[in-house]
Amino acid sequence: MAETRVSKYIEPPHLRLSRNRLYRRRFARNRGAMIGLMLLGFLVIYATLGGLLTPWHWSDQDFLALTERPSGRHLMGTNQGGGDVLAQTVVGLRRSLMIGLSVSCMTTLISAMVGAFAAYFGGWIERLALALIHFLLIVPSFLVLALVSNRVGGDWLVLVFALALFGWMIAARGVWSMSTSLRERDYILAAEFMGVPKWRIVLRHILPHLSSLLVVNFSLGVTAAVLAETSLSFLGFGVKPPDVSLGSMLADGAGVISSASWLFAFPAAFLLLFTMSMTLIADGVRDALDPVSAEASRR
Amino acid sequence: MNEPLLSVRNMYVTFSSEHGPVDAVRGISFDIHAGQTLALVGESGSGKSALAMGIVGLLPPSARVTGEVHLDGQSLLGMSDQQWSGIRGRRVGVVFQESLSALTPTMSLGKQVAAAVRVHTNLSKRLAWDRAVELLDMVGIADPGRRAHEYPHQFSGGMRQRAVIAIAIANAPDLIIADEPTTALDVTVQAQILEVLEQAKAETGAGVLLITHDLGVVAGHADNAVVMYAGRAVEHASVEDLYRSPAMPYTLGLIGSVPDAGAAHRRSLVSIDGEPPSALNRPSGCPFAPRCPLVTDACKDAEPELVPVGAEASAHTVACLRFAEVQGRRPDEVFRNIATVVSGTLSDERVLRVRGLGRTFPITKGEIFRRKVGILHALSDVSFEVRAGETLCIVGESGGGKTTTLLEILRLRPPERGLVEVLGHDLSTTSAHLVKTRLRQSVQLVMQDPQAALDPRLPVFDLIAEPLRAAGYGAHATKVRVLEVSGLVGLPPDGLDRFPISLSGGQRQRVAIARALVTQPRLLVLDEPVSALDVSTRASVLNLLARVKAEFGLAMLIVAHDLAMVRHIADRIAVMYLGHVLEEGPAESFFKSPRHPYTRALLSAVPVADPGRERNRSRVVLTGEQPSAWTPAAGCVFAARCPLRPTLSKEIQQRCHLERPALIDCSDARVACHVA
Amino acid sequence: MMILIAINATYFFATLFLDPRSNYRDLRPTRSDEEIGDALALYGLDPRMPAVDRWWSWLSDVILRFDWGHSPTGVPVGSEIPHRALLSGQLILAGVVLSVILGVALGVYTASRQYGIADRVLQTLSVLLYNMPVVVSALGLILLAVWFNQKLGQTVLSVAGAGTPGGVAGGFWPVLLDRANHLVLPTINLTLLGSAGWHLTQRSLLLDNINADYVRTARATGLTRTQAIRRHALRSSTIPTATSIAFTIPAVFTGAVITESVFGWEGMGRYFIQTIIRNDVHGVVAVAAFGAAATAAGAIFADIATAILDPRVRVN
Repeated sequence: MAETRVSKYIEPPHLRLSRNRLYRRRFARNRGAMIGLMLLGFLVIYATLGGLLTPWHWSDQDFLALTERPSGRHLMGTNQGGGDVLAQTVVGLRRSLMIGLSVSCMTTLISAMVGAFAAYFGGWIERLALALIHFLLIVPSFLVLALVSNRVGGDWLVLVFALALFGWMIAARGVWSMSTSLRERDYILAAEFMGVPKWRIVLRHILPHLSSLLVVNFSLGVTAAVLAETSLSFLGFGVKPPDVSLGSMLADGAGVISSASWLFAFPAAFLLLFTMSMTLIADGVRDALDPVSAEASRR
Repeated sequence: MNEPLLSVRNMYVTFSSEHGPVDAVRGISFDIHAGQTLALVGESGSGKSALAMGIVGLLPPSARVTGEVHLDGQSLLGMSDQQWSGIRGRRVGVVFQESLSALTPTMSLGKQVAAAVRVHTNLSKRLAWDRAVELLDMVGIADPGRRAHEYPHQFSGGMRQRAVIAIAIANAPDLIIADEPTTALDVTVQAQILEVLEQAKAETGAGVLLITHDLGVVAGHADNAVVMYAGRAVEHASVEDLYRSPAMPYTLGLIGSVPDAGAAHRRSLVSIDGEPPSALNRPSGCPFAPRCPLVTDACKDAEPELVPVGAEASAHTVACLRFAEVQGRRPDEVFRNIATVVSGTLSDERVLRVRGLGRTFPITKGEIFRRKVGILHALSDVSFEVRAGETLCIVGESGGGKTTTLLEILRLRPPERGLVEVLGHDLSTTSAHLVKTRLRQSVQLVMQDPQAALDPRLPVFDLIAEPLRAAGYGAHATKVRVLEVSGLVGLPPDGLDRFPISLSGGQRQRVAIARALVTQPRLLVLDEPVSALDVSTRASVLNLLARVKAEFGLAMLIVAHDLAMVRHIADRIAVMYLGHVLEEGPAESFFKSPRHPYTRALLSAVPVADPGRERNRSRVVLTGEQPSAWTPAAGCVFAARCPLRPTLSKEIQQRCHLERPALIDCSDARVACHVA
Repeated sequence: MMILIAINATYFFATLFLDPRSNYRDLRPTRSDEEIGDALALYGLDPRMPAVDRWWSWLSDVILRFDWGHSPTGVPVGSEIPHRALLSGQLILAGVVLSVILGVALGVYTASRQYGIADRVLQTLSVLLYNMPVVVSALGLILLAVWFNQKLGQTVLSVAGAGTPGGVAGGFWPVLLDRANHLVLPTINLTLLGSAGWHLTQRSLLLDNINADYVRTARATGLTRTQAIRRHALRSSTIPTATSIAFTIPAVFTGAVITESVFGWEGMGRYFIQTIIRNDVHGVVAVAAFGAAATAAGAIFADIATAILDPRVRVN
């Protein structure tokens, strides 16, 4: 923050310091971001290799140990059906990671395209895009999601598409409002007068300038998608048995929270670690790329 | 002499940055006496703003200020924020530069002024409001009682700047610090604001610290001046001495690089090579050495101290080893690189012809339900032509439609009204295909601020290549052409893979010019091509433009508000006001015998970098500001502000009011005025 | 306008994804499709009729008689809605208003103490809460309240339902108190989660404004840094916050659904789950209407707040 204020008084150095190196340095210096990155790394490793920590398969049922506390035999205990909680968190986390990342990929892409093109082209395209955004915001998307996922059952791929379909609007609005300010920039005008085609201006001059916003949107989108999935699964609409996600595990654990707290605590902890890591990374990226902006919205 | 009001001794300002500590100000000393004005002259990065903000303790916390600063004997450094609040506003008032961002957007102007009054008095809200209205009246805001209720965004730049002054003088401070108070303003408005500042100074008897890069402003309004370069004072003298016998080559170069609108003849400009050094990598010896034509090896060894010129106790001091050789010489004797005025061969080919161009914009209201509430007549009747090898400058205050005219031409689309002919093609009948394949490449643009006009995320090569790629050139042809023009504009050979941020301002503008030249255009359109650049680098860019014009027989259309600059490069000049051309003719007669009263007023508002002439010349002071073009008058658009009007007979006044004068031939120029 | 389109779109969505016939299919004795259709036709849900016709008769009922139709088992939707809407409405309203107030206050407080201990602690807390799934925080609160009650030996904070089952004797005031008591925890839950986001945005917005030129101008008139920030920066920094209120309503709605289900409230959230499970097309649409209305109300409120705060919007 202080950096930008100082630049009012001293000229930036005419050094050949590449942007990317500067960004990486700032990011690496951000303690929160590094913690977030390490957390994410740990979770990814856990989700891929965590199965090795336990001899049990996630769908195995150990009838000798029903609703057992964490012990040597089951490091995180077992659930009512004798399922190994550790094995299930591994699968559940993997499911949540996949859902979060793929949904956010799609929403970020859609929001960037819709937002940037709407802002740059203006006119009826812009009005149409904004109307669509507002319309989808007003439709209680959670309700439609519940409808869809209730109908199709536990198919998580459909869930991914449904979440993506209703998850891009707020981000798109952010991209749109930032692009409208870019639209007025001199270099955009200059490109127009040089005869650069419109679509190329968007791809070459507008989207690259939004990269920090897009990265932030992406990490926050992961969080939002995971939380939405959790909520749906908790209510019984999202991922359904026999499939397992952190959300469905929470639903199972919630009913017995006072008697078998480990059923709830472990998935909750993993969920929290995951969303936290994404937020910390988002903050780090934002600080590194764009020390001035707060507009680069959180919501 | 009595005690100085403000005394600064050996002041340093150090910022901590990502690249280690940076000294923005290095050992500056000066005094200001009550009722006097000291000008701090310097280009961007010279440390002048850091110095001013350091004096009033408004630097960010990461800055460290050392040395001694005394106001009436009271030491100002090291005070707490609490102690400062007793000084600021009451004893020191500050006038800031950017008036839009310097005023709180969510508070009415009256409230802001009243709040400033109430900080140091215990007036009731009502009385403070009355006082605020009084102050707004004093700084020349018409109808202050009503306008005090309005918000900053509803005021023009000049009016906002007046309000900023009102806030600064609300409690009659002893010292006024004005940080580039007139930078973004029109010359006519600049003259008014400087007038207000003078008046405020007279009224409060305050001392003034005036920070500026404009030597013309210094000449007219300061008693003493400190020239800053790379964080140090390089020359300190009374304004008379400074202009009469500058002792530092830098000062001499600066004076020589400022074009003079009022001079009898077009004077050649000197250009100082290179760019001001960045605060992070200053040369070890004299910071000006790399750019100095008189440099010797001794200059590079150690930074020279500030020493008296001539007599031991002289108030004129300079930091230069060779000042004796500088004094008494003319700028063009010292600086070899002189911008000579090259007259290209004029052909009869009309590259651009504009006749009766008009353009309106709907004014809409409301967020959701847009409704049209009026029509803005941005352009009403614009006519001119530009021939190959000729430079036409469009001048006038902002809001007159200069930039709109440029944009209308650059769009290369059928105009709303009137005729635009580019290379003989009437735009209303030219096919889109022809525009795309031929005209687009023949018309290129250079914008005002190269930093804004160049996409910061692309390397220079891609920036210059962009118009070629848009025109469908192949990779090889593109490369050849880019190398060719980048050499032509004098870019360093390793510059092509750098990013704009790592270039200096002058280099950036060269990149922008290279980009405009790369498609071998016939018409170059330039919007204020040098006004965003440092004074010392302007001349070299002007030189470059003159050279390419002569070399390629280019037609150039330039929009500018700096008449002195215009004087230097224009062949013909058109004066615009409220979407109309009021006068159009050859540059020589424009400056020698301006006909339209508006032209005369414009010329008279330009400050001259010569204290003797600046203080003794007669002026036509233009009151008010250009109105917005909502409902243009039926008669002469300038009538409301015309300084001639009161001297005219009733009948003619009536005629001015009712009948719009046409642009008619008047010896070699064309003028739209009933009485010219 | 948007609300109308949205509600009607939901009608088709619901028709597409819900199958009211399944409510009857598992009943004994088994009924033929014919019979099921006849039973559903009573409630305007006859699958043999084109969806457009069903929609038209439903819509005209809503508009002409404000009749929101029946569930597949014949319960009129209209009778279920009012008390539920009231419950959920107060929860959402309280959640939004309190979280904005708390969040903005926290943001302002921490921004003026940037990098102090209070700032760091609250910041960490908010980041944590911001990422907390509603379920987790709700259950956490319940556990906390239960522990609290056990400590005190009596039920001070109620953890389930919107009121004590069977009602409370003793007239108006005890009932009100009972209601308020049950409202406390769910509201705290929504407020805490919501305010975390507001806190973080408001903090960075204010920090941006603290560095604005006009704060420097204000300081130059003799205000101390804190005064200048309070009088000049605060208001501008809340404008973006006010604008974004509308966009958080859907999230609050989702949060409310889950909170209600955890705390066992018979509000719109519960109804929402039931209607979907029961294939109650009309009920689902009514919930959608409620959600859309809440969002629209939020949007209008945001517009008004922005206009009050920002003269640039007001005057132009």
